[in-house]
Amino acid sequence: MEQLVKTEKVVTNFYTYEGVVKALNGVSVEVRKGETYGLVGESGCGKSVTVRSIMRIVQSPGRIEDGKILLFFSDTDRNQAVDILKRSEAFMQTIRGNEISMIFQEASTSLNPVLSIEYQIGESFRLHRMPEILRETIDELQANLDKKKIPFVSGWKKFQISLFNRQKETLENYERLIDSIEFQLAELEDDGTSKNRRLKDELNRKRDMLRKDDRLVMFFRRFPFLRRYYRRINPVIHRKVVNLLKELGVPNPENIARSYPHELSGGMQQRIVIAIALACHPRILIADEPTSNLDVTIQAQILDMIRVLKETTISSVLFITHDLGVVAEICDRVTVMYAGDTCETAEVKELFQKPLHPYTKALLRSVPKVRQEEALATIPGVVPNLVNPPTGCRFHPRCESAMDICKREKPPLFTYAPGHTVSCHLYTSKEAKS
Amino acid sequence: MSTELKQKTTKKEGFLSHPAVKEFTFSAKRFLKNPLSIIGLTIILIFALIAIFAPVLAPPEDPYDPFKIPHDGWKTAPSPPSPEHPLGTMEQQYDILYGIIWGTRSAFKIGFFIVMANLFIGIILGSLAGYFGGWFDEIIMRITDMFYALPFLVMAMALVVAIGRGLQSIIIVMIILGWPTYTRMIRGEIMALRDKDFILAAKAGGAKSLRIIIQHILPNSIYSVLIVASMNIGTTVLTAAALSFLGLGSESGYADWGQMVSMCRDWIVGPPDNRLAYWYVVFTPGFVIAMFVLGWNLLGDAARDVFDPKMRRK
Amino acid sequence: MISIEKTIDADVSINIFLKTEKNHVNLLNYIIRRLLLMILVLFGVSLIVFSIMMIIPPGQRVAIYVKSEKVTPAQMEALIEKYGMNDPAPIQYARWIGNIFQGDFGYSETAKGPVIEGFKQYFPITLELVLLSTPLIILVGVWLGTLGAVHKDKPVDHFTRVFAVIGYSLPTFWLGLMLLMLFYGLLGIFPPGQISNVGKDVISSPEWNRVTGLICLDGIINGRWDIVWDGFYHLILPAFNLVILSCALILRLMRSSMLESLGQDYIRTALAKGADRGTINRIHARRNALIPVITISGLMFAGLMAGMVITETIFNRKGIGLWMARAALQLDVPAIMFNVLFLGTIFAVVNLIVDILYAYVDPRIRLT
Ligand SMILES: Nc1ncnc2c1ncn2[C@@H]1O[C@H](COP(=O)(O)OP(=O)(O)OP(=O)(O)O)[C@@H](O)[C@H]1O
Ligand code: SF4
Ligand SMILES: [Mg+2]
Repeated sequence: MEQLVKTEKVVTNFYTYEGVVKALNGVSVEVRKGETYGLVGESGCGKSVTVRSIMRIVQSPGRIEDGKILLFFSDTDRNQAVDILKRSEAFMQTIRGNEISMIFQEASTSLNPVLSIEYQIGESFRLHRMPEILRETIDELQANLDKKKIPFVSGWKKFQISLFNRQKETLENYERLIDSIEFQLAELEDDGTSKNRRLKDELNRKRDMLRKDDRLVMFFRRFPFLRRYYRRINPVIHRKVVNLLKELGVPNPENIARSYPHELSGGMQQRIVIAIALACHPRILIADEPTSNLDVTIQAQILDMIRVLKETTISSVLFITHDLGVVAEICDRVTVMYAGDTCETAEVKELFQKPLHPYTKALLRSVPKVRQEEALATIPGVVPNLVNPPTGCRFHPRCESAMDICKREKPPLFTYAPGHTVSCHLYTSKEAKS
Repeated sequence: MSTELKQKTTKKEGFLSHPAVKEFTFSAKRFLKNPLSIIGLTIILIFALIAIFAPVLAPPEDPYDPFKIPHDGWKTAPSPPSPEHPLGTMEQQYDILYGIIWGTRSAFKIGFFIVMANLFIGIILGSLAGYFGGWFDEIIMRITDMFYALPFLVMAMALVVAIGRGLQSIIIVMIILGWPTYTRMIRGEIMALRDKDFILAAKAGGAKSLRIIIQHILPNSIYSVLIVASMNIGTTVLTAAALSFLGLGSESGYADWGQMVSMCRDWIVGPPDNRLAYWYVVFTPGFVIAMFVLGWNLLGDAARDVFDPKMRRK
Repeated sequence: MISIEKTIDADVSINIFLKTEKNHVNLLNYIIRRLLLMILVLFGVSLIVFSIMMIIPPGQRVAIYVKSEKVTPAQMEALIEKYGMNDPAPIQYARWIGNIFQGDFGYSETAKGPVIEGFKQYFPITLELVLLSTPLIILVGVWLGTLGAVHKDKPVDHFTRVFAVIGYSLPTFWLGLMLLMLFYGLLGIFPPGQISNVGKDVISSPEWNRVTGLICLDGIINGRWDIVWDGFYHLILPAFNLVILSCALILRLMRSSMLESLGQDYIRTALAKGADRGTINRIHARRNALIPVITISGLMFAGLMAGMVITETIFNRKGIGLWMARAALQLDVPAIMFNVLFLGTIFAVVNLIVDILYAYVDPRIRLT
């Protein structure tokens, strides 16, 4: 299968008062087209930071220091990659919520308490489907205008149409230009000659100068009373929101759209978060423990929903959890993380049957089985403090099979079998083989 | 959190490893790293030193009445700074430097006295109201509501006039009118804590309510209250100075900053040839008040940033 | 997209309190209820004021009515008797309240006339200052606070923080005096008072049509632009003096609440949606951040009143503040009691507005 999102040795640090938290220590994951990919590990191992890095929304004291995050979104060339760490924020804004979406651990705090559900879902449309919305608004206005003609009102309506048209054109222009500049920048990427650098600076400057909005339209949209004309787009958005909710099987969509987050139950809030994420049909949905704070029945419903959606609308899902049961249930491939390191990646079945990494083994031993005979194993020791992480393999203080080399060197990634990689000295170093 | 905390403390791992102590030392370290808090601390320390060494810095003429500013003749117009009077003199030749030095003592006296008294009343009423709730709470809260609706300054002015002008009266009146704020604040803190797990645990363990208040609730809520109180020392001094300024302070010549600013009101505009002739009368005492208040505010701000868990992570 | 209804059991999780009830009916109910409550609070306020006034011995309360230097104790007694100040407190209170209901607030010696007349004369002067400074305080405070939070730890932030801490450390009275010394004393501009002498002649002449009492507004109504300018000119320094202090408080609160709001999970959601920083700050963060600012603005108003007393005293504007200061200093009891009641009413109304605004901004709050 083709790859869709791939990270290579991503390093992310948090610069806190306590010191530098080295949250990601060279994380490599790869999500392929059409699969559900799992990311598991103990709490605090950096799962959320990994996906936040992928979206480039690492929160404030954090910075992505190194590595590559590649997106293979081109429809024509399967192997054409875009390294988003080299891209501008403006470019990222066109990607987020549009091509990659994310849903979060805690639905109740993920929704803005003072904005209506309709607004929050509609915002996804406003951000990424504006030309379409404007076109529909214009069509509606035009139809309205054709129906009955009242001298003065018609003039005003015509003017509104021209305003909407203007806005649409500026926006389309903007998107086209951003695309082309980004493309040119990508062409220039690898070559560090001074001429190239100058060209790059110029392109960057040009991009920063681009305006998303026409000045005249802005004026009308800000000016008291006159700005009421802009309400014309609301019915269009409302329709889209209600349609989306209907498609997601939310009962009573009209009422839900009108309500505020605190009026909804936890499960419904999570569905709204999913609706926000899916509004623009992303290629990949990142689900960061979407069910961890819900009760079991709701949890099952949400999981089902994601599974069905996966089959129908989104091509890939990156699913984070620390519940191995969930992994077994819905994932195709899975990566095990420990303290900012990727330990092992394999197909789910393979991982459960033939775990290689000592941490994976320990993790699997700590899960209750149907016919549990011996006592559940726990992993001795504690999760390390990431300000001063252990040297070499970060798992070595807790590892049963730790060797000398483990304290000194970070284990390299080793392909054990096709589609099964592991980073552990047990499989690579001479010390272990002897 | 509480159960863990208990286990750890009962294990007697030593005082320094107690999480609360660790937390405190950590916060204190950050506090001392913040330049603004250092400035604030320095300002307050300087004022404290001035207050302590006032008799050395400015030996009083009459040791039994040191707050009386000595004056050099009765000439009305202020005189500019001179070797004899380094900061100049006010009208009737009261020495400004002397007034400022001994005024520092007045300021500390006003600030500490009012805030402590208010805090005391506030803690008692607030914790009773916050803990017991019910009608007791209702009555106290309605009374504080009404006090909030009173225009503080006007009421204070009338009361001071009624019981006789002077610094003493200002202090008394500010205590009479000031306690509701503190009561409310402490009640709020306690309300927020009352239903927390560890209080419930203590209750389930059969602790008597007074014990709960003293042992569990107060120590937890007192932190933020003390910070607010420390910030309020500045504003309290400011309000007292405003009252003095409005003409309610002690008789002229008493070493009190507000009183000194009040005495300068006639000297804003100098003679036509030198309109700023008397700037030192207007500028100096007010500037000292501003610095004093600034010191406390800087301290309070920094303390809030550092100790308030909500602001911590950023 | 095909429907996936089957995955969701019809109605397990809907729990909506539908907001279909006509909201304005609720609002009206609410306001009426609050106004009734307000009468209760005002009653309490009147009791407190009255009790405090009762602490003052009758001799002092009557002193303001004494015209000549030499009064015998007997004459004093007669005066006290005349004003009924020796009656039992409840009777005095009942008399006062009774008179109020007849529209008689008593005679104010400091206003040299009935309290109501004094009020009519002084209030517009204060109102003018309030109308000019309040919007400034809110706008500048909110704007600078947002700016500081958005550019946390950048030069702008440091600048606004320093401005804030200095702003609320400055004694209002001292700032006023310094402003007067520099602008009026040194430069000869922005004189104290509410209008120039020339202007005073104009507005006391019979041709002048006093409609609102607000100098600027009346100037517009009378078509006298010189008077409008005159009034505005005298407003600048006092307004500045008031704005600095209160604006610093709002700034500080706005900054910290904006910071808190920017750290919330819903900001992350908005980011993940692809929203730009401007939208996030303006729509997602600021609305939430305004909530604590709104709740505190009722209290801010009380602070503004104190600032008003001092500002009007310094700049010699003959408004409510100056009147109250003089009344308090001379123990003009009817004027004090009236003004305290008046301010109590205003305070209650402001709080009512604040609560309604609060419910408007925060949908979680329901007016009950
Ligand atoms: N804002 C932050 N400031 C400082 N450190 C942070 C911050 N966010 C995350 N970290 C650090 O990064 C590490 C990884 O955190 P992350 O949230 O990715 O864990 P996680 O695997 O998602 O855990 P969970 O299962 O609890 O969600 C943690 O050790 C944490 O200390
Ligand atoms: S590298 Fe060494 S310490 Fe790390 S998991 Fe493998 S054996 Fe254990
Ligand atoms: Mg997480």
